[in-house]
Amino acid sequence: MSKYTEDDLEQELKTQEYKYGFYTDIESETFAKGLNEDVVIAISKKKNEPQWMTDWRLEAYRVWKKMEEPEWANVHYTKPKFQDIAYYSAPKEKPKLNSLDEVDPELLDTFKRLGISLDEQKKLANVAVDIVMDSVSVATTFKKTLGEKGIIFMPISEAIQEHPELVRKYLGTVVPTTDNFYAALNSAVFSDGSFCYIPKGVRCPMELSTYFRINEGGTGQFERTLVVADKGSYVSYLEGCTAPSRDENQLHAAVVELIALDDSEIKYSTVQNWYPGNKEGKGGVYNFVTKRAICETNAKVSWTQVETGSAVTWKYPSCILKGNNSVGEFYSIAVTNNHQQADTGTKMIHLGKNTKSTIISKGISAGKSQNSYRGLVQISSRAENARNFSQCDSLLMGNDCGAHTFPYIEVKNKSAQIEHEATTSKIGEEQLFYCNQRGIDTEKAIALIVNGFSKEVLNKLPMEFAVEAQKLLEISLEGSVG
Amino acid sequence: MELTDKLLSSYVAFENRVDTNSDIHEIRSKAFQNFENLGFPTKKLEAWKYTSLNSVLKQDYSLFPNKENAIQLADVQKYFIHDIDTYKLVFIDGKYSSFLSESTHDTFDVCLMSAALTKPKYKAVIENYFNKIAKKDNLTSLNTAFANEGAYIYIPRNVEVEKPIQILNFTTGSEAATMLQPRNLIVVEQNAHVQIIERHQSLTSNPVLTNAVTEVFAAKDATVDIYKIQNDDTNASLVDNSYIEQKSNSIVSVHTFSFGGNITRNNLNFYQKGEHIDSILKGITILEGKQHVDHHTLVHHIEPNCESHQDYKGIYNERSTGVFNGKVVVDKEAQKTNAYQKSNNVLLSDKATINAKPQLEIFADDVKCSHGCTIGQLDDDALFYMQQRGIPEKEGKALLMFAFANTVLESVKIPEVKQRIAKIIANKLNVKIGFDL
Amino acid sequence: MLKIENLQASIDDKSILKGLNLEVKAGEVHAIMGPNGAGKSTLANIIAGKDDYEITEGTIELNGEDISELAPEERAHNGVFLSFQYPVEIPGVSVTNFIKTAINETRKAKGLEDMPAKDMLKMIREKSELLEIDRKFLSRSLNEGFSGGEKKRNEIFQMAMLEPKLAILDETDSGLDIDALRIVANGVNKLKSKDNAVIVITHYQRLLDYIVPDFVHVLHNGKIVKSGDASLAIELEAKGYDWIKQELV
Repeated sequence: MSKYTEDDLEQELKTQEYKYGFYTDIESETFAKGLNEDVVIAISKKKNEPQWMTDWRLEAYRVWKKMEEPEWANVHYTKPKFQDIAYYSAPKEKPKLNSLDEVDPELLDTFKRLGISLDEQKKLANVAVDIVMDSVSVATTFKKTLGEKGIIFMPISEAIQEHPELVRKYLGTVVPTTDNFYAALNSAVFSDGSFCYIPKGVRCPMELSTYFRINEGGTGQFERTLVVADKGSYVSYLEGCTAPSRDENQLHAAVVELIALDDSEIKYSTVQNWYPGNKEGKGGVYNFVTKRAICETNAKVSWTQVETGSAVTWKYPSCILKGNNSVGEFYSIAVTNNHQQADTGTKMIHLGKNTKSTIISKGISAGKSQNSYRGLVQISSRAENARNFSQCDSLLMGNDCGAHTFPYIEVKNKSAQIEHEATTSKIGEEQLFYCNQRGIDTEKAIALIVNGFSKEVLNKLPMEFAVEAQKLLEISLEGSVG
Repeated sequence: MELTDKLLSSYVAFENRVDTNSDIHEIRSKAFQNFENLGFPTKKLEAWKYTSLNSVLKQDYSLFPNKENAIQLADVQKYFIHDIDTYKLVFIDGKYSSFLSESTHDTFDVCLMSAALTKPKYKAVIENYFNKIAKKDNLTSLNTAFANEGAYIYIPRNVEVEKPIQILNFTTGSEAATMLQPRNLIVVEQNAHVQIIERHQSLTSNPVLTNAVTEVFAAKDATVDIYKIQNDDTNASLVDNSYIEQKSNSIVSVHTFSFGGNITRNNLNFYQKGEHIDSILKGITILEGKQHVDHHTLVHHIEPNCESHQDYKGIYNERSTGVFNGKVVVDKEAQKTNAYQKSNNVLLSDKATINAKPQLEIFADDVKCSHGCTIGQLDDDALFYMQQRGIPEKEGKALLMFAFANTVLESVKIPEVKQRIAKIIANKLNVKIGFDL
Repeated sequence: MLKIENLQASIDDKSILKGLNLEVKAGEVHAIMGPNGAGKSTLANIIAGKDDYEITEGTIELNGEDISELAPEERAHNGVFLSFQYPVEIPGVSVTNFIKTAINETRKAKGLEDMPAKDMLKMIREKSELLEIDRKFLSRSLNEGFSGGEKKRNEIFQMAMLEPKLAILDETDSGLDIDALRIVANGVNKLKSKDNAVIVITHYQRLLDYIVPDFVHVLHNGKIVKSGDASLAIELEAKGYDWIKQELV
């Protein structure tokens, strides 16, 4: 047990309020539905991209056309009609903004209601925020402060214009266009996302953050995030997602590539709260995301995710531990309620010597939901002294849900040390009575116990995110007990 | 000729030899069609992701050895557990050897399948149990299509069989390559108790492929202990499909000792159809050379208040490969299930591989399920400690490995089996020390 | 404060309490003693509202209000505190976080705002000193890996924090060494006032050396069969429960 100071105690006692539920109305410009080479070219043109980028997209599109949607995941859904989706939607008064004052006040209000008041965060949390709304980045704060350190943090569409050499060097190197069905689709049609470059030896002085939001009906969101941490640098990156409730299923197919060069560290945290569909399972976002990091010598990448939203989640943030002594971590909480389905986990590919990985996965299933952990730990024959520790815990609430674990472990080196543990449990009657006796009602008691169950992962989130995540857990499980 | 084609074309000949008027004729034909549609499994199937039969299927197997081959007891005695009195069912190249066997019909039946399938006396049991729980997958269907010979064991109510039953399958190598498909049926009625030791042994280095299917039915309060000794020649491959159905309060344990053979695939399936059932699955695997063993286990918890315990230990040397794919399914109704699964592995060589996939699929909320899987090395400190006390490195390592595997061995209930396994382990590890049991 | 009349209760159709009467006034300490299986813990659980039990007859009144239909948390909000014989573990939930939630939920039920962090901090500091609880202890997961003594001390710490009107201590002395017993008893004594009441449920007289009761009741076979003052406990200790049983025949 590390030291527990008065400050820690006080911090823990602080009560934070979270307000949720909002609707926003901003005029959007949307492409006609459907996808073909012309649409791909049009997206590229709209963004004023160089020819190499257009070609890159077209190549991805051609690959995608030949691919089949994967079916191995433990999820069942009506496949999206890819020709019924509009592949580009941007707020109409596309703002080219330098400060927050210029942002559409209604949009700012939206974020306020989301609990991410930019003003406040600027002051309190020292967070630089990039917001991608229906695929287009609308504001990047703190650009100047970051600029002084040589840190590039901007919409990827701008980065393609301003730093083409960097984007071209790294884009698609971790997740190639041919990687999988959704990654290929994303490569062809992504309209925006964030680009981040931390120069050699620079420790990014603040958390960088992107908020994604699908607003327009009938659109898909295909954002692309590329984070490059140059040698000896450090960055902590936060990503939040929300979408308002809609009856139809919306598609979100993002690609995130992290490049951690020698001796660098990237912390990537996600709080995903896409609309999960209603109680009967109607509507909700299909969240098919490819996230992968490559770690060079002595580099470290930590993925932390809190997945409470989406009707269907298909997501495996992974680490290729290429360099010697590199470290990969995956901390995940996935909550499914009502008719939600999640198939999520990670891949830790150990290639270098003395590589280390840690996997902590907490799955919470309620209602009629299905929650699966799927993971791969692979130790190649050259990966001397590789270490992995995995722990997958499931909590079931009620008797109509399912918890599944599919861990794959492949080891080809004798010096490897692998430990995998999994447990399944429920909230005990005795625990509930104990809480009740101390004046805590059952719903609150469940929230408390679930938070306790998820503690190891919540602890990995930056403070302001952890508070939001805790509240989200509570909201997601509302009504899960009869 | 391709093995698949050969099997397809020889089915007609097989049918001509067996009684096509029997009830099981239809079961066989259906199974045959099933296999015809499915063919042999390939690595594309999730269940066969880590095991390829390609190299094994290339051989030109003789399916029905013509010759009646006799062997001398003295030549094969070492493969029996011979220091205790047992019932024996011995098959030579797939044919029953009455000379080497010791069957019985006295209060219970320990005899041959071919008789049970044809004689009216056994009709009721065959109707109730034959092919009732065997899966309809490729290899089980193939076995069912050609099902004819094997062990038939029927233990009526309240009978405690005092002597263990040994089932031995010898291959003489009289053919260049032999394929065998033994089919066993073991029915243990209420409150009955039986212990079974099973072994497949090739007597030469001619290739052998055995595709065995065993169905076990344990009624209420029954106790069944099965020991599978797999220490065959390195040219012999085995697919061992076992299906076990348990009723309330029954206890069934299966110990699988995998030391020999070329490619060994164990499909061990438990179905719990009652309450307060205990299913025990344990295994020790020690491999070297290019050996490959794949343990595929399934425990299906269907009803409440049951338990399952899985404990598999694996030691892999040289270029050997181990696979552990353990699946626990807990149905919605199966509240208060306790399911434990453990797979611990040691790699001794950089060329050895272990692939593990411990799966849980849980649909009930009030259950305790856990699985643990470790891959590691022997404890260097412990080894150094032993060396310091004068135990040479090789013997020290052997002792450590033995200690590692011992949690499985100590639950073996027949002392002679335990001793035999300990001896095989010592041989396998190439040490002369005796392991204290 | 507490008035129980003709209480009869059963679990799975098995009758456990068979017409129990008990009245506890503010400022009093009552001890309930009795052999194993007499129904002591059942009584504690029923007052606290555990729904495993069915009340077949009788009433439980707290300050004139019938509480037998209230949810456990509502009874807690009304000032009922049960120190559990076997406190459960809640992994990942710290003692601090738990007590904060309990206090604020109780305040919420009374229409009060959350307790300001600095007030709570002050209170935690005071009460943890009272029970000689180390600061580190407060950051540990609730009851997880606690020793028997730590669990019981934590229960009394929560009692101190929640300031109940009626505290029921169910076998609080079991699993305590002599030092822990002293600390716990000392805590309870300091929390005693003319406005609250304590029911001590115990098998042995040991705890009653430290928490001196005004009344002692002997529970046997679901009924209070004998009542007296503190000397009854001493007599019991000397003569054993068989004495009561024989006396009843």
